[in-house]
Amino acid sequence: MRSFLSLFVFLFAAAVSAISTSGNRLLVILDDVADKENYSQFLGDLESRGFQISFENPKSESLALFHLGERSYDHVILFPTRSKGLGPNLTPNILVDFMNADGNVLVTLSSGVSAPSSLVSLLSELDIQLPTDRTGLVVDHFNYDTTSAADKHDVLVLPRPSPIRPDVKDYFGEGIGKDAVLAFPRGVGAALGASELLTPIIRAPRTAYSYNPKEQTEVVDDLFAAGEQLSLVSAFQARNSARFTLVGSAEMLQDKWFDAEVSQADGKKATKTFNREFAKRVSGWTFNEIGVVRVNWIEHHLDEAGATNESNPGIYRIKNDVKYTISLSEYSWTTWTPFTVPTDDALQLEFSMLSPFHRLALQADAAHGSDSAAAYSATFKLPDQHGIFNFKINHKRPLLSNVEEKNTVSVRHMAHDEWPRSFVITGAWPWIAGVGVTVAGWVGFCALWMYSAPVDGKGGVKKTQ
Amino acid sequence: MSADPLQALASAGKGESTRGLLRVIILALIAGASIASRLFSVIRFESIIHEFDPWFNFRATKYLVANGFYNFWDWFDDRTWHPLGRVTGGTLYPGLMVTSGAIYHALRALTIPVDIRNICVLLAPAFSGLTAVAAYLLTNEMTPSSSAGLLAALFMGIAPGYISRSVAGSYDNEAIAIFLLVFTFYLWIKALKQGSMLWGALCALFYGYMVASWGGYAFITCLLPLHSFVLICMGRYSTRLYVAYTTWYALGTLASMQIPFVGFLPVKTSEHMPALGIFGFLQLLAFLDYVRSAIPSRQFQTFLWLFAGGTFGIGLLGLVIATSAGVIAPWSGRFYSLWDTGYAKIHIPIIASVSEHQPTAWPAFFFDLNMLIWLFPVGVYLCFQQLADEHVFIVVYALFGSYFAGVMVRLMLTLTPVVCVAAAIAVSTLLDTYLSTKSPKPEESQAVEGAEGKKAKSGLKSTSKPMVGVYSIWGKSMMVSALAVYLLLFVLHCTWVTSNAYSSPSVVLASRLPDGSQHIIDDYREAYQWLRQNTREDAKIMSWWDYGYQIGGMADRPTLVDNNTWNNTHIATVGKAMSSSEEVSYPIMRQHEVDYVLVVFGGLLGYSGDDINKFLWMVRIAEGIWPDEVSERAFFTQRGEYRVDAEATETMKNSLMYKMSYYNYNNLFPPGKAVDRMRGVHLPEVGPTLSTMEEAFTSENWIIRIYKVKDLDNLGRDHMSAAAFDRGQKKKKATKKRGPRLLRVD
Repeated sequence: MRSFLSLFVFLFAAAVSAISTSGNRLLVILDDVADKENYSQFLGDLESRGFQISFENPKSESLALFHLGERSYDHVILFPTRSKGLGPNLTPNILVDFMNADGNVLVTLSSGVSAPSSLVSLLSELDIQLPTDRTGLVVDHFNYDTTSAADKHDVLVLPRPSPIRPDVKDYFGEGIGKDAVLAFPRGVGAALGASELLTPIIRAPRTAYSYNPKEQTEVVDDLFAAGEQLSLVSAFQARNSARFTLVGSAEMLQDKWFDAEVSQADGKKATKTFNREFAKRVSGWTFNEIGVVRVNWIEHHLDEAGATNESNPGIYRIKNDVKYTISLSEYSWTTWTPFTVPTDDALQLEFSMLSPFHRLALQADAAHGSDSAAAYSATFKLPDQHGIFNFKINHKRPLLSNVEEKNTVSVRHMAHDEWPRSFVITGAWPWIAGVGVTVAGWVGFCALWMYSAPVDGKGGVKKTQ
Repeated sequence: MSADPLQALASAGKGESTRGLLRVIILALIAGASIASRLFSVIRFESIIHEFDPWFNFRATKYLVANGFYNFWDWFDDRTWHPLGRVTGGTLYPGLMVTSGAIYHALRALTIPVDIRNICVLLAPAFSGLTAVAAYLLTNEMTPSSSAGLLAALFMGIAPGYISRSVAGSYDNEAIAIFLLVFTFYLWIKALKQGSMLWGALCALFYGYMVASWGGYAFITCLLPLHSFVLICMGRYSTRLYVAYTTWYALGTLASMQIPFVGFLPVKTSEHMPALGIFGFLQLLAFLDYVRSAIPSRQFQTFLWLFAGGTFGIGLLGLVIATSAGVIAPWSGRFYSLWDTGYAKIHIPIIASVSEHQPTAWPAFFFDLNMLIWLFPVGVYLCFQQLADEHVFIVVYALFGSYFAGVMVRLMLTLTPVVCVAAAIAVSTLLDTYLSTKSPKPEESQAVEGAEGKKAKSGLKSTSKPMVGVYSIWGKSMMVSALAVYLLLFVLHCTWVTSNAYSSPSVVLASRLPDGSQHIIDDYREAYQWLRQNTREDAKIMSWWDYGYQIGGMADRPTLVDNNTWNNTHIATVGKAMSSSEEVSYPIMRQHEVDYVLVVFGGLLGYSGDDINKFLWMVRIAEGIWPDEVSERAFFTQRGEYRVDAEATETMKNSLMYKMSYYNYNNLFPPGKAVDRMRGVHLPEVGPTLSTMEEAFTSENWIIRIYKVKDLDNLGRDHMSAAAFDRGQKKKKATKKRGPRLLRVD
């Protein structure tokens, strides 16, 4: 873990211009490079944030995510492509390998273009299901843009995204006006499985549903998904914190929707969409610009009077008092900031061998904090059980990179000279007194015996007979 | 002088001091011979620690030498029994390690730098030389003939029953314990004969050393009280006995309690109660003795009965109460199995699974003791002839030792000394009788006969038989030469057994090539070296407990279980992981932080000591703890056969052990021709697949196979589907599922 961290820091130092915490080489995959004009604002924003963008065609021979076993790019954006597959250089296995090697992927879909089959099988590995026939259209007859989709109702107007759980930080809706809306034109909705690595960023409104515009024109008999089960923008974070985002509508990232005005059916006046800000946040999250937690250092030591001040010793004794401190930072667009735990959440430390012996909420430790890092610590007494224990932090929250730290220490038994001496224990006093009496009695008896020599030899002989 | 060298030689052996010198030289030669005969393994292979337990002792010795005595005493070993650890300093017998540590430091002080490994390898032969001397001393206490002592020393030096545990490299507790056993007995006899506190104290000292060295000290703890008890019952109570026993018991018990592993056992467990009981009994006898000298005999009679009855009643009551209250621990399982050989098989599979805990087969007695086994009763009979206190000891020891040697193979070791002593008495008596060149004159013997006859008229009939002498030189020489042939055969047998049966390090296997040359199969060390060089230093290795000490010693990696079988549940956990399917065993391995799994597979080479052959013990031990999850029956076919081929049961085929053993094995053979040479069966055409682990290493002859346990899947899939995806199989569409749609709840 430590070497991994130092590599992290090194990379960060080497690429000063890079804003993401995990490199700035971005590959954009487009059917036709000319299409990139449609996304000029989105891509321009990315470029201005420090990414070096390369463009490739999925069928291109030169396209390779890996070179000599190392990643050639740090991030990949896949825009919709018309081809049925993604070609031999973007097989699902390669994409999985890319994610296993800490690469991040942003995938966009469009209802007009059916998703490539290799993308579908990749998604199914991530426990994300697309509508049958790899295409679908999300419509909502209540929340649609009356100006652009008055008939088809396929441009959804969505409210500001809210966090899925109260203890999760609001990365996508924070600081955005209450009445701000998001346009979601002609998008594909996905159904998410039960995987805990998945988080829906935007769910469809309760009245939305997905259908196949080619086959189900008259009647929707086999409903794929509807309402909140339909995820429009979904996030997946692998165990190694590699991120994968599925944006259901590529069109929402296009220039024309970035500052478009939409009006809703209830006759309210037209409002501007915040698609541009949302696109920044989604790409920023995917490419490790927000929601990245870094462990700066971990320290544990004996917390006893008169003990040596040794840091991170490999061995403790049972019933020692120990202090554990961890320093955490969170990355926020350009700087590392102190990592704060939401009020109804806790950062927990486990001291475990096979099962936890302690599970403690770590408390903020201001003495060790700084402008860019927050320290959390706990003080506790080790259990009365020797063995090989782990200080374990397993902090996994949606949208936040995983913190999984394990520091192994041995907890030994009491050494033979660490017990209290017998004379300290009051209960032992009768026995100690007994020893003293026996010794004194024996010495006294010997003295008496030697002093009282037989007076008369004859009498002695008679007695023994 | 030159005219008659033979006579000169004969006269040279007559002086007492010359004889003494000769005896010393002969003893030294015997000690040399006993050391030399144990060096086969070093010459054939190399200076290497053998088998299993010695590897732990070796590792502990290295720790002692590197970290000093105090650290060793308080050693908490976090590289075994992961993640429980082992309080090693408090759960071992430190005598062996301390002995070699002391030798190591002494040699260094003499500026002779010797590698600690060589000291460990050669410790057992060196101590066997001392054992020979101790046997000499013990036998000399039994009979005035010094030839008996020398013969006993010789027998002790080369008897296979002892060599089996003391060849070079067999660095186990028994290596020094047998010397201590014999020497403690010698000191006991000496103390008893002289009624000397000094000898009693020395006896206690060596008893303490014995306790520090070997769990078998309980043999002494039980034998000495038994001897005393028999003497008392024979009406041979004496102040000599009182002094010798009480000195030994008081000091010896105190000494034994200094060993952390023994601690308060001498006053708590039933095995130690006889010694305590006899100690109390002797006090009573001494008291009665005093009372008898003080009061008239009539009153004494009543006093005796009341007193004896009262004491016995109170004692018995106390014992029952203490046992039921748990103050005195009940008999341990290993002890029960000494009385009932079937006990372990039913109740404690972990004890029964050890081959050296099996009852002894009859041929083993002849194999380990050869002609001594039939000379042994003769010697015991000769002891009956004289039956002084020390001869009673030999008789008691012989009975006790024979019984236990019959119950457990490893206790052959404790029988061997008494067999050597008794056989030496027998042989020396024979030789003394037949080797005397002087023939008795018929009339002389007649006269003797007459005198005897008059004396013994009132005696038994057998004692009044006429005494018969050996008159003919021819008969004498026949007898002596026959005996000499037997003795020579004995030496031949001992050398043959040592060379063929007891000199294999078992870490290195040897086989013969067709041309007769030796071929070394070194898979174990190859695999352990691989672990040492290619894995993280704290990579946890899971294997069956047999290999725990070796992995710790040779590969220097933490293990889950090892040959110190102190925690049956932990062993059963490993057994469960090995005998369950991947889905069940993977969480167990994750919980125990296992990085690598090591299995021994003999199918390619026909090596019988492999894990598939031991597999049923794993199943049984796991079943003992989890009878609902592991069932031995499920590993047998309908017809009750234990099979590994296509007919094997599903449970067998799905078990982790089976999969790890036969994974990729098919690829060695043309399709459908895979064969297991150990069990002599054809294997199914399609081999097992593994998804939660990957093959990391397989040794040259496939004896050791090491697998790496995979991490959890990065994308949160289960390993089966992840492995299927990697193989390029498409996932079945989830939409085709029947039943109600599974909704996601956030």
